[in-house]
Parts: sequence; C-alpha cells; structure tokens
Amino acid sequence: MTTATYDHAPAHSGGGIGAWIFTTDHKRVGILYLIGSMAAFIVAGLMAIGIRIEQFAPGESGLIQYFVGDIGKRMTTGDAYNTALYFHGAAMILGFLIPGLTGFAANYLVPTMIGAKDVAFPRINALSVWLFYCGIILALLTFVIPDKPDVMWTGYPPYSIKTAGNTALYVFTVHLIGFSSILGAVNFITTIIYMRAPGMGWNQLNMFVWSILTGLTIQLIFVPVLAAAVTLLLLDKYVGTGFFDSARGGDPLLYENLFWFYSHPAVYVIFLPAMGLVYDIVATMAKKNIFNYKAAVYGGMCGLVVISGEVWVHHLYVAGMPNWLRIGMTMTTLMISLPVGLMVLSLWGTLYKGAITYNVAMMYAGLCFVLLLFGGLTGIPLAVASMTVHFARTSFVHAHFHFIMALFAAYAVFASVYFWFPAMTGRTADNAVSKLAFWLNVIGTQLTFWPLFIIGVDGMPRRYWDYSPEVVGAVRSENWTFYHHLSTYGAAITAAGIFLMIVGWVYSAFAGAHVGRNPWGSKSLEWTHASYPIGPGNFPEEVAVSADWTPYNYAK
Amino acid sequence: MSIHADTHGHAHHWEWSWAPAAISAAALCFTLAFTLFFVYEAQLPAIVCAGLMVPLALAGIAKWMSEMGQPTVPAFNSLGLALFIFGEILIFLGLFAAYWTLRISTSMDAGAWPPAGTPELNHVLPLIMTAILVTSSMTYHQAEKCFEEGGKGGFLFWVLVSIVLGVAFVFCTGYEYTHLWHEGFKPGTNQFSTPFYALTGFHATHVVVGLVTFLAVLVGSIIGSVHKSLVKLAGVYWHFVDIVWFFVASQVYFW
Repeated sequence: MTTATYDHAPAHSGGGIGAWIFTTDHKRVGILYLIGSMAAFIVAGLMAIGIRIEQFAPGESGLIQYFVGDIGKRMTTGDAYNTALYFHGAAMILGFLIPGLTGFAANYLVPTMIGAKDVAFPRINALSVWLFYCGIILALLTFVIPDKPDVMWTGYPPYSIKTAGNTALYVFTVHLIGFSSILGAVNFITTIIYMRAPGMGWNQLNMFVWSILTGLTIQLIFVPVLAAAVTLLLLDKYVGTGFFDSARGGDPLLYENLFWFYSHPAVYVIFLPAMGLVYDIVATMAKKNIFNYKAAVYGGMCGLVVISGEVWVHHLYVAGMPNWLRIGMTMTTLMISLPVGLMVLSLWGTLYKGAITYNVAMMYAGLCFVLLLFGGLTGIPLAVASMTVHFARTSFVHAHFHFIMALFAAYAVFASVYFWFPAMTGRTADNAVSKLAFWLNVIGTQLTFWPLFIIGVDGMPRRYWDYSPEVVGAVRSENWTFYHHLSTYGAAITAAGIFLMIVGWVYSAFAGAHVGRNPWGSKSLEWTHASYPIGPGNFPEEVAVSADWTPYNYAK
Repeated sequence: MSIHADTHGHAHHWEWSWAPAAISAAALCFTLAFTLFFVYEAQLPAIVCAGLMVPLALAGIAKWMSEMGQPTVPAFNSLGLALFIFGEILIFLGLFAAYWTLRISTSMDAGAWPPAGTPELNHVLPLIMTAILVTSSMTYHQAEKCFEEGGKGGFLFWVLVSIVLGVAFVFCTGYEYTHLWHEGFKPGTNQFSTPFYALTGFHATHVVVGLVTFLAVLVGSIIGSVHKSLVKLAGVYWHFVDIVWFFVASQVYFW
C-alpha cells in the first residue's frame, strides 16, 4: 500500500474572501452550510428557550414577545408564541437538520470518502448553498416584518389561509430551501454513481455515502410534492383558488395528505444521514468492520426508502379516516421497524467486542444509541391508531419526535463535527471544555424532554401556550407546573452546553491543539489518502482501490 | 490491500464563481417582490425588487454560461438532467393528485361535472396550442441538428422559430384566460376553476422558463459561442414541457 504521507501539505493559497463566499469547492460549500445551519440552529434554539419560559408556569410571562422581536408588545402572548413555534419548527428542520446533514456533512464527506476531487456539478452546488442562505434570510425576516408568520412548520389550512400572518414567507422559505435540496439531491446522486474512485464497488462504500444516496433519493422523490402543496397554499391565500377551502368546495385534508406525503419521509432524510455518520464514527472508534453491512445497506437503508412513502397517513389518524385505513396504516407504519431494526442491530453489532476509544465524537455517537432506543420505543404506541387518538395532541408526541429528530439527529451532526474536525482544520476540538459541554447537553436535554413524556400521558396538550388551572383542575395544573419547571431548567442547561460547544468549535478552529493526520486511525479515504487538512482537489494523487479494500478493514 | 496512485491532475487553488450567488439573489428578489405586492400591497418596493431581480438574473446566467467552457462529462449531465426532470414530474403529480381529489370528491357529492358556473370551454384552442408546442419541439430538434453540424445560421434561425412558437403558446394561454375571466370564470369560482388555473398556469410558467433557456442559448451564441450541454439541456427541458402539456390538456380539456 502506498499511503501518501502529507503531514505538511503544500500551502494552499486561500484566494481571499471572495474565494470563500463565492466558493464552488465542495469543502468550503460544506463549511458555508455548517455556518448557515448553525445560525438557524441558534436562532431557532432561542425561540425554544422563549417557548420554555412561556410554559414555565400557567398564565402570561409576557417575555415571548421579546423573543420574536415584538418589542412594543403589539402582539398577544398567544400570537407571539405561535410565531416562536413557527420559527422554531421551520428553522430547525428546514434550516438546521436537513442542511446540516445533507448540506454540510454530505458536501464535506461524500467526495472525499469516494475518492473524488469535487462533486459532479460544483457551480450547481454553490447555487444550492446560496438558495439555502436566501431561504434563511427569508425566514429571519420574520423578526422584522409586521404580520409575522404563525403557521408552525406545517402550514395547515384553513388557518394558514385565513390568518393575518404572512403565509407567503413560509411558502417561499420552503420553495427556496426545497429547490436547494432538489439540486443537492441531483448533484450528490450523480456524484456517487459516477465519481467513485476506480475499483470502488457498491459494497465498498462508507455507510455515510450510502445513507446520503438513500436519503437524497427520498428527498428527490418527495420534496417536489411539498413544493406543489405549498404552492397551492399560496394560490389559495393570494390568488383566490379553493384547493383547501371547504367553503369553495376544497378539502383541507388534501393539504395534510400532500404535506405529510413529503414530511414523513423527510424524517428519514434526516434519520438516514445521521445514522450514516454514527456508523462511520462507531466503526472507526471501535476498530470494527460494519456488522452485517449488506443487510444494513440493502435491507435497512434501501428498505427504508421503499417503505418511507407508505406511512404518511398515520399523521392523519385523528383528522378523520375510515377504520380500515387506520388499520392498514398502522401495519405499514409498524413495518418501518423492520429496516430500522436491521440498522440498529448492525450498529450494536459493530460495537460488540470492539476496542472502543472514548472521545467526544464517540461520546455523542454513543448517546445517539440511547436516544435512538428511547425515541424508537416511544414511537411504537404512536404508530398504533388506537393509542394515537389519545396521544396525538399531547406533549408525548412532542417529546417523542424531539428524541429522534432533534436530539438523535442533532447529536449526530455534532459528533461528526468533532470527528472530522482535524480533517477540516488540522486541529482538534476534543478537549475538557467540549467534554463539559457534552455532559451539559446530555443532562439538559434529558431533563427537558422526559417531563414532557410524563405530562403528555397525563393530557398536557402540545402547541398550547397556556394551561389554566380552571380548565385542567388545580391539582393537575400544579403537577404539570412542576414538570414544566424541570423542563425549562433543562432547556437552560442545554443552552449553556450548546454555547460552550460552539465557542469551543470557533476557538479550536483557530487556536486548537494541532494533531497529526488520521488521529483516530481510520481506514477511510478522507483520512488515509486526502491531503491533510483537506485542501483543493482533495487528493495529492489519483486514488484507486482494490477489490479487497473497504473503509472498515480493521481486521486485516 | 493495495491502493494504486498516480500523479497528475492536481488542483492547488480554490475554485470560485459569483454566478450562483447572483442567480440565488435574483430568486430572493422574486419572492420579496411577490410578498411586497400581494401581502403588503406595497407596489413601489415590489417593483424595485422585481427591477433588481432582472439584472441579477441576467448577470448570473451570462457569467455562468461564460464559465461553461471547462470539460464536463456527458454522462453526468444526462443523469443530472434526468434526475431533475424526475423531480419536476413529481411536482406535476402533486398538482394532478390535487385535481383528481377535487374532481372525484365533487362528482361524488354533487353528481355533476363540471360544477355550476363553468362556461363552455373552447376545445379548438387547446388543439392549436398542442400543435404549436409539438411543432416547436420539432423546430428545436432541427436547431440541435444544425448545432451538431456546425451551421450557426441555421441554428440561430431554428432557435428563433422555436422561441416565436413558444411565445405564441403563452399568448394563447393569456388569450384564453382573458376570455374566461370576462365570462366570470375566475380562480375561486368553483372546484374546476381552481385546478384549471393552477395546472395550466403552472405549465405556462414552465414554458416561460423554457423560453428563458432558449433566449440564453440564442443570445449566447449571437455574442460568442454556447456550450453544447446547455443546448441539449434546453432541448430536453422543452420536450419535457411539451409532454407535460399532453397530460394537462387531456386531463383538463378532454376529460
């Protein structure tokens, strides 16, 4: 084996600020995605803090108005709360999770993992990141305009059509980021199919590459349907058509169907790449081959693509449908456990008897195991129609999807930043501060979301800004307030952890300790063959791999 | 395990281009113009935004085209375009699903289709429009043939003919809309007008996008030369729009 050892890579000229902002290089595009998605994450996180403060105790705290930029308090607490919910949901999913995983991680890692110099269409890649930024700008306008959007991230009619809030802003944010996603999907699918290093077969791909291929396939199939749905919403509100307005013969459930036809699979667009990142980190840190690679890839990831489009109706269990459909959709939804189960089995199997290195990246990845377990198990009652009719409108659902979507996926992104930090900067972000931030994050998030499960089972409605003792009873209200206190304290601890983590990243990027190439001893191309830190063109020499090479070849 | 390495093809500078940023900014201006006009009814700022959009888009497209000289792998473009068109097909499928839902539920409730308030549609015009679009696909095919043979005069001529036909198609749509509007058939009239305007309007927007790519090809080759992959891309997109029209016309006018 002729491993190129370029510990002191030739100095690359940076090319000035223009070469950063207007870059078409996939690595810099990836970093731009990371910056943009973390910005969305921070602002959306502040909204979450506002939401938690408002729910701290029954009655108005009156602070939520300040969080959504309504300094003069023209909005009622309820309206301001709705806007905070809108921004939190829309920005976390469309601005942070999807771009963080399929933008940042995919851009930085896919070409370097498959031995390519760049993506297939570098300028279209730059167009993607710019459309994403324009979407973020539109979303941020929420805080300065009158008539702020207040339609959550779902935009359900008839409310979204009748509200005085600016639904157009929501629609265009979805359009811009959705178009960016479609272009990204086109780009990466083409890249993975055509630009693998000579000799690299389908069973020699990194799990993360597979997860991007399958995740973006879902994105390519379903995002256009969401784009169509929100376009019709725009027409209904501003041009006067009647797709979703029952007064004009339309059908509000039509929107819910079209919306969830995309937005349930969107969960897997987030889940799959997050899973891929965890796989790659765990295999490297445990020095193990992926357990049951083919079952996890073809049965798990590809199987999930096939089933992802058949389950959306479970979001409409309580919206009204015949019972035979409820039974059918319970079946298809429970079927999701099969591919996910294959992946989880393979993940735990990879860890089994491994020589595990514990560092911050592995700590976050390990936490993902636990989150996946609890998030997955609490999903099973929600798949079953007979239980969902009781849970659907409570904070039980809220806690469930935060375990999977918010915590599992976000921690996978954070783990990936720590893991690939040396490849990006030549320095490490793994230090005492990052470990402290990790434990604050663990304690904070668990404290935030477990109480929501408990009061959810007791009937605490989700999305509501208030619960009054007169309605729910004094004893119950007092009980809920106790748990809301816990949850809000948890959110504060999480905020401290996230703050430390981000400060740690910025500090480490410029002043962190230098580490030599491939500090984790990975066998994957982005560590063994790429220049270090990875520079223009990625590889000092053309890469080709032999038939017995895999990125997880730790046994040999 | 062995990994072979050879030494060529280094790139030791960071690539960059401002064209994608300009095009994205144009898209942002469009959304702002729409929002200002329809939501806040602020005409002047809306016009300013729309005015900013045009030079940004033109500059971005021109810069992009001027950079297309680098070698591209044909297979990439074919697959990329196929995937993109696959996405477009799903947008239309979403719209058709909405149309079918409205149509089936209305027919089941009221038992009649088209619902009350629908004027007699002109069935000759869509046939003419179909003929126009099919002809334009053929003329553009002719243009591509000339392009491959290197005949610039013939190429420009056939592209121009295709543009004229495309514009004629959009004009027909406008003519039909005006008439229907005067007969009181507006987007909110009934369960048929809603998908009617949405489907035909959405298709017409695609025709306009196709015309923009044709114009880019035309102006680009008048000024200098235009990249082969752009000529092909414009053609495949146009044929796609043409095929979609068969579905729109047959579903909306003749069902």
